[in-house]
Amino acid sequence: MKRLNTIMIVVFIIFISSIACMNLLTEDQSFSQAENRPLMQFPKVSLDRIRTGAFTKDVETYLSDQFVHKRFWTSIKASAQKTMLKKDNNGVYFGDDGYLFEKFVSPSEQLDANSESISKFLEKTKGVSVYGLLATTSIEMYPEKLPKFAQTASETDAIQRVEEQVKGDIGWIEATAALKAAKEQPIYFHTDHHWTTHGAYVAYRATMEKMGMTSLPTDEFTIRTVSETFRGTYDAKANDPSIAADKIDVFEPNFHVSYDVDIDDGESERDSLYAWEFLEKRDQYSLFLGGNHRAVTIHSNVKNGRKLMIIKDSYAHALVPFLVNHFEEIYMVDLRYDHRSMAQIVKEKGIQDVLVVYNIANFAEDQNLIWLRQ
Amino acid sequence: MVFSSLTFLFFFLPLALILYYISPRSIKNFTLLGVSLFFYAWGEPIYIALMIFSALTDYIHGRIIGRFREQRPLYAKLGLVSSLVMNLAVLSFFKYADFLIGSINSIIGTGIEPLDLPLPIGISFYTFQTMSYAIDVYRGKVRPQKRFVTFALYVSLFPQLIAGPIVRYEIIEKELMNRSFQLSQFADGVRIFIIGLGKKVLVANTIGQLWTSVESQGVADLTVFAAWLGIIAFAFQIYFDFSGYSDMAIGLGKMFGFNFPRNFNYPYIAKNASEFWRRWHITLGSWFRDYVYIPLGGSRKGQFVLYRNLFIVWGLTGLWHGASWNYVLWGLYFGVLIGLERAGLLNWLEKLPRFVQHAYLLIAILFSWVLFVFEDIKEGFRYAQVMLGLGGRPLYNTAFLYDLYTNGILLLGAGLLSTPLFTLLWKRCVKRSEIIQNEWIQTALQVIFFMSILTLSTAYLVDDSFNPFLYFRF
Repeated sequence: MKRLNTIMIVVFIIFISSIACMNLLTEDQSFSQAENRPLMQFPKVSLDRIRTGAFTKDVETYLSDQFVHKRFWTSIKASAQKTMLKKDNNGVYFGDDGYLFEKFVSPSEQLDANSESISKFLEKTKGVSVYGLLATTSIEMYPEKLPKFAQTASETDAIQRVEEQVKGDIGWIEATAALKAAKEQPIYFHTDHHWTTHGAYVAYRATMEKMGMTSLPTDEFTIRTVSETFRGTYDAKANDPSIAADKIDVFEPNFHVSYDVDIDDGESERDSLYAWEFLEKRDQYSLFLGGNHRAVTIHSNVKNGRKLMIIKDSYAHALVPFLVNHFEEIYMVDLRYDHRSMAQIVKEKGIQDVLVVYNIANFAEDQNLIWLRQ
Repeated sequence: MVFSSLTFLFFFLPLALILYYISPRSIKNFTLLGVSLFFYAWGEPIYIALMIFSALTDYIHGRIIGRFREQRPLYAKLGLVSSLVMNLAVLSFFKYADFLIGSINSIIGTGIEPLDLPLPIGISFYTFQTMSYAIDVYRGKVRPQKRFVTFALYVSLFPQLIAGPIVRYEIIEKELMNRSFQLSQFADGVRIFIIGLGKKVLVANTIGQLWTSVESQGVADLTVFAAWLGIIAFAFQIYFDFSGYSDMAIGLGKMFGFNFPRNFNYPYIAKNASEFWRRWHITLGSWFRDYVYIPLGGSRKGQFVLYRNLFIVWGLTGLWHGASWNYVLWGLYFGVLIGLERAGLLNWLEKLPRFVQHAYLLIAILFSWVLFVFEDIKEGFRYAQVMLGLGGRPLYNTAFLYDLYTNGILLLGAGLLSTPLFTLLWKRCVKRSEIIQNEWIQTALQVIFFMSILTLSTAYLVDDSFNPFLYFRF
């Protein structure tokens, strides 16, 4: 038994000390692409920080942040969990056909407050055509792909609740029905909480119809796949490397059109709706309009004098590239960063149409719609 | 720093082992003391002073008691009383002051401000150890330790410092002064440590998520079966968490040459509450038995004294677990059960088939965990009501079915691991099969088994630290 014991000890010591050495010798990373966040660097030493325990706490974060080959280890855990028949991780369900879904939680009072905010906004913008688009997320679209007995609240019910609660003149765009009719197409990402350009296209047609305008058929566009390596937010939460990456398609107009994109009222400018550099990063959905900004103004060469304001979350980013072909100016604002009075801006800019675009999961929890009340 | 952390496994432990084993024999205790103080200071930079103070006063008390116990018993007695007062004062001040203030405020309606002191890590354990030392010196069971470094090492020894087992001085007295390296002891330490790590990381943490998921549904929306499932998950969580931690402590102790007493012995296979407590947190139970229950007269002074003693001991046991009334109630619940068992329930139970006895114990334990887990006693009672089907709730819903089948394997595994089944099977295989008896095969099997657990545990720990920043819903 002497040999057995010796080998046992040696293997154990080698295991812990070799990983310790690898961690020690590997150069520190400043940013993790996989986690899309900066990593902890070796913390500052000071007597005060040592006394309060902040130093040692930071060292622990530093050591675990800089742990080598994290993806290798997390994939071991993911396979172990799967073997145990685990069907979810961090609130994300493993669905059929490589779909990941996030559970939709029964809406809280925040949803009612948000409806109220919209009603207030409608009072202040009488005479302007206001439209609302509340999009479902993928979990509502594919209940049959969910694991057996998986729980989720009804997004359709939540949308209906908002439509009933909002008082005033608003044109609700029936996106859910249109999306359901197109559910055989890849309208949602497998690994991300957004819709794809295909889903956005369906919503665009419904929007045009509601606005009494004519939408462009698909043959006016060339659909080009610009990425096949997109791993979105659901993937980050589910953390299972065996799930296939998504591809991103872009609808490129076959007709001549040009845009001027102005970000944050003159902070920067670009002439494309796409920020291609994001394809090199994890957050590839930010390809569309470069992600979230306080305010984005898009002038197109469509000289029809129509101005549209979009009050939105990121679902609008894939939708806007279709809408720009119908408006001379789109003014897109994000209430999370922009706390000005939108009713005021509508008046000042002489805007005729306002479109509110949110996905229902976000709308149910967003705390910034309150800014619409001013 | 907890043992089940990347920092401990891949930074502290290799460093501690290297430092300890390169130290010459004469300064090994000194090195281990330094390492232990570093370990403690890592999580409690300030309270390290408290622990050193505690060690110092108990060292002095021990010397005083030892010096006078034969010639001047009165002085020795005073020394003992002073030591106990000191320890209990420290423990009460840091652990129970706010509880006392809160209770006074709610009973007589005063508005005394709570102190809001953070609880010094391990204080419940090390004060109990030093008290047992002082009492044992007074009783003449052990000789007072003359070297301060050795005594301070006993108090601060890092493997058992933060979550037990409660190691009495007499048990490791010899090892504190003189221990030699033994290959088999170290290897056992590695094995026990890895088993403990696996219990904590792979079982307790994962099944804990099931409890969290049930608990987060809220008592108001709970179905009957879900309530049972939830508390079963908690029962496994607390057992694998606590016993895993004890195993890690025992394993680490062996790596540094100490043999700590066993703290858990498959408690859920017990047939009654009295037996359960002989298998659960053994070192705490025996502490209360030897230093409270028996000095109070135990069961030898008549019925009244017996039941009074049970009441005191179990009230204190409950209070030891946490400064809140629900823990007291939890302790008294066991006091009542054990009292009933003594009064005749046990005789009656023993005539019943064994599975009925097991069922009795398990159901009793599950309800005890309800008391334990809800600090809000009313909430606990509501939960128990749902379990009993008195809440007017449906038996189950799809959420329950989902939780059940996605955790089925884990629950089954945890259930089997709560019994000695696998250990017995393995021993039987070794006995019957000559192939396994071959040393090389045995070695290969063991290395694969233990390293798999270690690898998986590391993977689970790394996954915990993998915190994607979710540019979520933006």
